[in-house]
Amino acid sequence: MSVPKREEIPPGTLEMLILKTLARNKPLHGFAIAEFILETSSGVLQVEEGSLYPALQRMLLKDWIAGDWGKTEENRRARYYSLTAEGRKQLARELDRYARVSQAIAAILQPA
Amino acid sequence: MKLPRRIAAFFHREAETRALREEMQLHVELRARKLHHAGLAPVDAGFAARRQFGNAAVYQDQISAIWGWTMWERFLQDLRHGIRMLFKAPGFAAITVLTLALGLGINTAIFSAVNAVMLRPLPYPQSDRLISLWEENTQPRDQRFSSSGTSVGSGGPVGRTTVSPANLADYRACAAFEDLAAFDSYPGNLTGIGTPERISGEAVTWNFFSVLGVLPAEGRPFLAEEDRPGANLVVIVSHEFWQRRMGGAADALGRSVMLDGNPYRIVGILPVGFQSPQEVALKTPSEVFRTASYSSDLLTSRGDHEVNVVGRLKPGVSVTAAQAALSAISASLGKQFPDSNRYFRAAIAPLRDDLAGKVSQSLWALLGASGLIVLIACVNVANLLMVRAAGRRHESSVRMALGAGRLPLMRQLLTESLVIAVAGCLAGIVLGRLLMLGLTVIAPPGIPRIESAGMDWRVFSVAAVIALSTAVIFGMAPAWQASQVKPVEALKTAARGTGGASQVRWRTALTVAEVALSLVLLVGAGLLLRSFSTVMGVKLGFQTDHVIAMNINLPQLRYPDGDARWRFFQNLEDRVRALPGVVALATANRMPMRGGWSSGLFVDGDMENEYVPDFQAVSPGYFETLGIPLLRGRSLTLQDDGKSLPVAVVNQAFAHQLLHDRDPIGHTMQRGADAPRISVVGVVNDIRRAGKEARIKPEVYLCAAQTDLYPTHLADFAVRSAGDPRALVNAISHEVWAVDKDQPVTNVHTMDEIVDEAVSERRFQTLLLLIFAGVAVALAIVGIYGVLTYSVNQRLSELGIRVALGAPPRAIVGLVLRQAGALIAAGIALGLAGAYGLTRFLQDLLFEVKSTDWHAYAGAVVLLAVVAVIAALIPARRGARVDPAIALRQE
Repeated sequence: MSVPKREEIPPGTLEMLILKTLARNKPLHGFAIAEFILETSSGVLQVEEGSLYPALQRMLLKDWIAGDWGKTEENRRARYYSLTAEGRKQLARELDRYARVSQAIAAILQPA
Repeated sequence: MKLPRRIAAFFHREAETRALREEMQLHVELRARKLHHAGLAPVDAGFAARRQFGNAAVYQDQISAIWGWTMWERFLQDLRHGIRMLFKAPGFAAITVLTLALGLGINTAIFSAVNAVMLRPLPYPQSDRLISLWEENTQPRDQRFSSSGTSVGSGGPVGRTTVSPANLADYRACAAFEDLAAFDSYPGNLTGIGTPERISGEAVTWNFFSVLGVLPAEGRPFLAEEDRPGANLVVIVSHEFWQRRMGGAADALGRSVMLDGNPYRIVGILPVGFQSPQEVALKTPSEVFRTASYSSDLLTSRGDHEVNVVGRLKPGVSVTAAQAALSAISASLGKQFPDSNRYFRAAIAPLRDDLAGKVSQSLWALLGASGLIVLIACVNVANLLMVRAAGRRHESSVRMALGAGRLPLMRQLLTESLVIAVAGCLAGIVLGRLLMLGLTVIAPPGIPRIESAGMDWRVFSVAAVIALSTAVIFGMAPAWQASQVKPVEALKTAARGTGGASQVRWRTALTVAEVALSLVLLVGAGLLLRSFSTVMGVKLGFQTDHVIAMNINLPQLRYPDGDARWRFFQNLEDRVRALPGVVALATANRMPMRGGWSSGLFVDGDMENEYVPDFQAVSPGYFETLGIPLLRGRSLTLQDDGKSLPVAVVNQAFAHQLLHDRDPIGHTMQRGADAPRISVVGVVNDIRRAGKEARIKPEVYLCAAQTDLYPTHLADFAVRSAGDPRALVNAISHEVWAVDKDQPVTNVHTMDEIVDEAVSERRFQTLLLLIFAGVAVALAIVGIYGVLTYSVNQRLSELGIRVALGAPPRAIVGLVLRQAGALIAAGIALGLAGAYGLTRFLQDLLFEVKSTDWHAYAGAVVLLAVVAVIAALIPARRGARVDPAIALRQE
């Protein structure tokens, strides 16, 4: 099994990735969010726990996501995060911003 | 939105932290399982997962910071630490908290009284627009007419009189007022319901209730046409009257009650707890309100100043503007009616200020004094905090050496002062409440609204602000001190608990301030005490013991003229004279200190010079009953009656002021050009008829039997007894009822009680200020004792060496006392300056004592110096008894 080279998540995009992940799924717990991002990025984007949980707390505080306690398949207590209406709006804003920024970067990188 | 969420999260932060730990734990386990599936051994997988996860504690700190908890947590930590430290030093904690509580408690109690009497709005809608209106006599003092009738608000300047209803009609035209209403005390004899009783009431103009903004709860206010002579007799009663006397009968409206022998129809019942402005000042609930129905004579006679006036300003009109408009009116009245109005002008003041009147001066003075006590208490607390900070120098140094910042160190000490301040504040409020209860019990009658003094938001916020500023201001100095510690030096001096030179300077300064502040209070108390003893030493000129006085107010209906009233009292005198234990008895319009009457007078037919002495109509027993010695001529006798020559007795002041010390006997006087001439037949001793603080005035004693000579009503009856005069009250009342079964007897007091009540306010002030001064001196002594004990302990080894080298104990005591002496002298010098500056505010409360009276200053200085030196002697003697061996070993 070949392990792809892992990359740090570019600064400022972690919250967007989490929001998008939650938008595409049913409520997930922290580990599942990290796993989803890792798998969907084909093993490139590794979310560090050290940034994941503070980010989740920040987003809880800003009311973008909600956390509800539930049980895992192994019957362990876990906090499942889901998107709020405010979070959905924030996701749209961030996607918009990201599109503009990456377009701009692409324009600069294009061969003349 | 965010802030509440943060705050809510703060209270759940322990649960949140646990939740986070659980989440992270799960994360690690799930990762370990994944690694295991990928082929790692379970143990290695666990290690790898944890390694990858990193330091969970750091994440938690980060998260804590995200929620903004850090500051709070530090504060709570300081708080817990502070509380723990205080519990470790219970003596220190108790003394500081108690000191603060004492200062705050006294302040809270006095402030709640000030609040109740002067600050809280009156119980009327938009009461800030209500004003009190009176007239002032601007005539030079020596020829002034003076009315001894009481008026609402005792605070006016001399020359203040009630208002003439005729002038009132003109004042009402003033555009600054929405309306003006008049009211006056008008008690009535209530019959037909139980035993006859005299109840308080008022005669008011029909618009009285609408000016106050109060409508009857049942029925209606008066109509304009009911406020005329000869109109239907109607009455509005208080809620209490309706409940207590009519059992709250549902059909009370429209029913009639018998007042002064006439049926009055009830047209309105006032709301619960209604107080008329009169009551706010006098405390006696008015039960019945009748229309004033001024006669047309009164409404044209501008010289009759008879009624109290309350008014409502138009919205947006200031008192100053209204006064200006009113002054214009009274000036034009003065031109139009020079005979009656030349010397009179109308004045107004906010109703609340006017009601608080003279009381406000003494309350402000007491508030100022209690403020000084708070200052002293704060200085003491600061002193104690400094001792404590010094004791913890070592701790501070160690902590700083280990890397603690100055700021956190200061913050922690400040938090400790805050804990003390909050505890002191709470204890102070409780103590203040208790003191307030005590205050209302010993408060003299006549302080309006004091019985309603309590805790409201104003009182609480003042206490809290004082406590918190104490904590910050007086906690700052020691905290700053502690943060200036140089760890290396402090640790090198192994002896713990030395404060260094700057500490001693600070504490000396604080103690000097304490001595100074308490001297100010002592001087103030001394001045009041001297005034009080001066007042108590004043001779009234008559004998108050064994005399009982009562009011027997005969209604106009059954006693239409002076002859009818005199016959009643003659009859009563004959019956009461026969009672066992009666030594002497008298009838008069008013007994001394119960009001009176004064009027214009011409002597020996000289109609150019009008004098205004006091007049009394008295029965022959008057001088014997009151123990007023006859100096010359003869007294009034039963032979002087309506058929004989008009006669009168005068006092010495009359002879002195009106007759320039000529012998009055044989001179004649008359009250008007066509009035009968009255011959002076005797001279009696001067008395202070209006009480100890009043001036001696010329008096004319008319013969009660010569009823044509005086317009006033006979109403007071007094008896001198062999034993306790109160024992006679029942028997006298029965004799009254034997003459007239419907006649109430009211206002029954022994003369001693009346005199006592007259000085009760002064006694109250003096007592409170003495207590305050006592507390201040006690606190100052604690301060002096503390600072000297501390300094002696610091110099123990030095003193030990001196003793070892042969210094006698006297020399050691002298050494310490010299230090104390400097401190006390500095405090006294400062305090004298402060007292000189501050006691002038007491001048209005003093009686025949100047605010610079040297006796009070000298007494205060001597007392404080002696007590302070005694406080200093204790540590001084301890210093002298020091055992050199022990003292040197401590080094």
